[in-house]
Amino acid sequence: MIERTPILNIVTHLILFVGLLMLMVPLYLTFTAATLTMEQISQIPPRLLPGDQLFVNIAEAWTRSDFSQKFVNSFILATGVVTGKVILAAMTAFGIVFFNHRLRMPIFWLVFITLMLPLEVRIVPTYAVAANALTPFQAILDATGLSRLIAWISGVEVHLEWNLLNSYTGLILPLVATATGTFLYRQFFLTIPDELVEAAQMDGAGPVRFLIEHLVPLSRTNIAALATIMFVYSWNQYLWPLLVVTDPSYGVVAVELGHLVPNSNSTGGGDPQWHLAMAGTLIVMVPPVLVVIFMQRWFVRGLINTDK
Amino acid sequence: MRRAYFKNNWIAALMVAPQLLIIFVFFYWPTSQAIYWAFTLEQPWGGGNEWVGFENFRQLLTDSQYWDSVRVSVIYAIATTALAMGMALILALFADRQLTGYKFYRVGLIWPYAVAAPAVGLSFRFIFNPSAGLFSYINHLFPGLWDPIMNGSHALFMVIVAGAWKQIAYSFIFFLAALQSIPRSLTEACAMDGSGVLRRMWDLQLPLMAPTFFFLLVINITDSFTDSFGIVDTLTVGGPARATNLMVYKIYEDGFRGLDYSGAAAQSIILMLLVIALTFFQFRFVERRIHYS
Amino acid sequence: MNTRALSAAVALLALSAGTASAEKTKFEYWYGLSGDLGEKVQETCNRFNAAQSEYEILCVGQDGYAQAVQNTIAAFRAGKHPTIVQAYDAGTADLMLSGEFYPVQKMMADYNIDVDWANYFPGISNYYASSKGELFSMPFNSSTAVMYYNADDLKSIGMDTPPATWEEFEATLKKLKESGKACPYAYSADPWVDLEQFSMAHNVPVASNNNGYDGLDSKILYNTTLHVKHMENIKRWLDEGLLQIRTAQGGINAQSSFAQGECSFYANSIAGHATVSKTAKEGMNWSVTMLPVYEGTERHNTVVGGASLWVLSKKTEPEYRGAAAYLKFLATPESEEYWSTVTGYIPVTKKGFQGLKDKGFYDSAPFKGREVALESLTFTEPGPLTRGIRLGGFIQIRAEWKNAVEAALAGNMPMKEALDTAAQRSDDVLAKFARTYKGKSFP
Repeated sequence: MIERTPILNIVTHLILFVGLLMLMVPLYLTFTAATLTMEQISQIPPRLLPGDQLFVNIAEAWTRSDFSQKFVNSFILATGVVTGKVILAAMTAFGIVFFNHRLRMPIFWLVFITLMLPLEVRIVPTYAVAANALTPFQAILDATGLSRLIAWISGVEVHLEWNLLNSYTGLILPLVATATGTFLYRQFFLTIPDELVEAAQMDGAGPVRFLIEHLVPLSRTNIAALATIMFVYSWNQYLWPLLVVTDPSYGVVAVELGHLVPNSNSTGGGDPQWHLAMAGTLIVMVPPVLVVIFMQRWFVRGLINTDK
Repeated sequence: MRRAYFKNNWIAALMVAPQLLIIFVFFYWPTSQAIYWAFTLEQPWGGGNEWVGFENFRQLLTDSQYWDSVRVSVIYAIATTALAMGMALILALFADRQLTGYKFYRVGLIWPYAVAAPAVGLSFRFIFNPSAGLFSYINHLFPGLWDPIMNGSHALFMVIVAGAWKQIAYSFIFFLAALQSIPRSLTEACAMDGSGVLRRMWDLQLPLMAPTFFFLLVINITDSFTDSFGIVDTLTVGGPARATNLMVYKIYEDGFRGLDYSGAAAQSIILMLLVIALTFFQFRFVERRIHYS
Repeated sequence: MNTRALSAAVALLALSAGTASAEKTKFEYWYGLSGDLGEKVQETCNRFNAAQSEYEILCVGQDGYAQAVQNTIAAFRAGKHPTIVQAYDAGTADLMLSGEFYPVQKMMADYNIDVDWANYFPGISNYYASSKGELFSMPFNSSTAVMYYNADDLKSIGMDTPPATWEEFEATLKKLKESGKACPYAYSADPWVDLEQFSMAHNVPVASNNNGYDGLDSKILYNTTLHVKHMENIKRWLDEGLLQIRTAQGGINAQSSFAQGECSFYANSIAGHATVSKTAKEGMNWSVTMLPVYEGTERHNTVVGGASLWVLSKKTEPEYRGAAAYLKFLATPESEEYWSTVTGYIPVTKKGFQGLKDKGFYDSAPFKGREVALESLTFTEPGPLTRGIRLGGFIQIRAEWKNAVEAALAGNMPMKEALDTAAQRSDDVLAKFARTYKGKSFP
């Protein structure tokens, strides 16, 4: 920055380089496996150097998986989740940090607990909700006797149904319902000095204007980080799309990739075609990596607020 | 804590309502059904169940193998969190110095997060392969030293490294974001005062990153309890002899592969209570030390 | 509140898929096979759709047997399940007790589709039938366990034929070891081979009540049979360096170790035959033989593995008609031949097998040797102990066995003690299962 620190600079480069190396090894192995034939992959001892089959494998993986349509779907899914999370989480965090009400902590915990039980273990009842997202309300109406009341008054039997299977909404909504974003925003919002709030109030800014005009610009890097992570997270979602989508026109890339990954014979798999699975991994990885590179431009040191 | 608040609480209500609605429908409603199963013996295909009270819990808590699973999960959570956050913090602090080529490092260090899980699993299998992988060189030098197929501790080590690897990029990106939110003027002022780079990291950057640090601590610990299924499934399938049978893996294995929905529900509740307790503990004792502004 | 208006509005909001054309009857089929085998299943669907114009089958891959069953259950409970599901042996006990299926034999009869059930190999059809002999599910991808051997290695120690008994097998391992082979036998603890197929071939019980067929109050018996001696032998062979453990988790599985010529023997499903053909080191001579049996015992038939196709309840009549047409299509000799050619699975009907045999299918590589699986499956008529295993919580029971054996192989406890513990824990699983389905019994 200002001072000259030649030795420390060398150390810095060294640390970063070693870190990069360690993080890159699995990536390199993925790439290598994608350039080999099936026979070469199962060789003993295994090959460490790339072969010449990369484009053959990629072409094969591409045709097998009908990726083109799935890329569009995955993009819609990931963008939907990112948008939903970035906005909803900011709103929720705003509502529990900048207002003084008794429900602040209970609401925070209510949101937070959703992190503690992964989808894998509640997949059966969650599917039931996706098959009809209004089930809970129907149950409430039934349990409170309201539905009978309505039936008695209007003569219409209440039957609420909103099927989310095979739809983008069904893919996106359940993935939006987690707490990571809310927690991150909360942590950042808590560091906003009181003076800023007071100054805004003095200017006559209401809460909504404060959120949009002051908080959002300040949260830029955090939003970028959250968006990056969430994009990759939803891009790689596998279990949920596999379950709620049976219509191929709503399929996503991660599920197609899953079809390429071999299982063992006893669990219903065939030949271990790792070369195709790895080539598929490379194809599937391209958009998230582009997003990472694109998001870089938002990772700039905050220039505003310099004298606070 | 904060002194300045906005007054109109109805706006706050509108702000939190959408998220609460979504989590009610897609989390609390389904979860409440799973909780009900924990107190019954549920037939997977529907067809009814029998109320058994705390029987499912009693069975679990008196099973020494279940406690082994809890123990392994705690070790895994602490070790992966420490490894991943330590590495990520160091890398972020140095990457933030913005020396030549830092953009390259930045992309390179976040990139691994984009690799799909099966590829990660296969790569690590290859790295740790005792007879032909990268780790086989250890066995060339010291025959029999590395044996994750038979030795439970080795297998656990392997799972921990792979789990931590997955989390490094995640933590790195948030640490970096936190560092970038520190105003440049503050750092410059410190430099003017004559404090060196390392001094500034310690005195200025670390304290200012505390809220993010806390965020990552909680998220990493929670994640390592709840999101470790894939790693275990591809690397060790819980073995050898249950040495890497993490709680969440056991739930999936018993409950959903094994179709014991009630047992799985009871295990889920115990897992959830454990993570809630740990999180509560962190909020109570760690967050206190954080100064937010 | 007008419900129809509400759901219509909501449907618009949901961007849900509009299914416009309703000329053909559509029905769904969820399968577990993954990777290239999944592709092959998809091809059978395409061929069916191309072969007729009345029905359209939509085949959805679920990446693995366990996932296929689990996802089907989730969908079933929400009333959105497929008409046909491919389910594996360990997932069917619950399905049988729930009664939520349409027995295929009954369905075919109800829709006047003529199937010659006697044509199916009894070792296969018995496995998927009620105790009264009514077929519940359609046999589809079928296999059994065999021993793969490297003929070159055997020749190098002067043997022309593979060992037929475990005693000979041990002697062979010793000779191979002495001749400098570092890995005579690539082993991974697999209950399907070491416990289930072993017990069938020796006609010893795995559990009481004729392996669970006769009631839910069954108890594990494998810790009291010849099985214990066999597992103690395995442990001894490990200690003596006669076998090496090779698992996918260790980096290279037994199959690859064998195919690369590193190890001389490995035991697994005949379905792997196709893979070994494709990945075997060039010029390597190898084949398969029946699993060895112990001297002084009488060899019995082994049992079918793989999966079968179940038709689920609560679907409409047109969908059942479609399902019946598809199953009928799969049962044609042409389909059977196609399936046995593109995969390593064996034909399930006598005619299908005979047809292939007459064509000389089994005479040359890469299919030569696959007939051994049928020889093993049909070695004797299935008896009360060899028709299969019908236990609830079978996944956990297999896991108990595997973990116990791993602990014993690592030297943490003696094999007998490990098997006793596993048996006792499995009994608890069985008791819990019986209580869940109180008052019910296998049909």
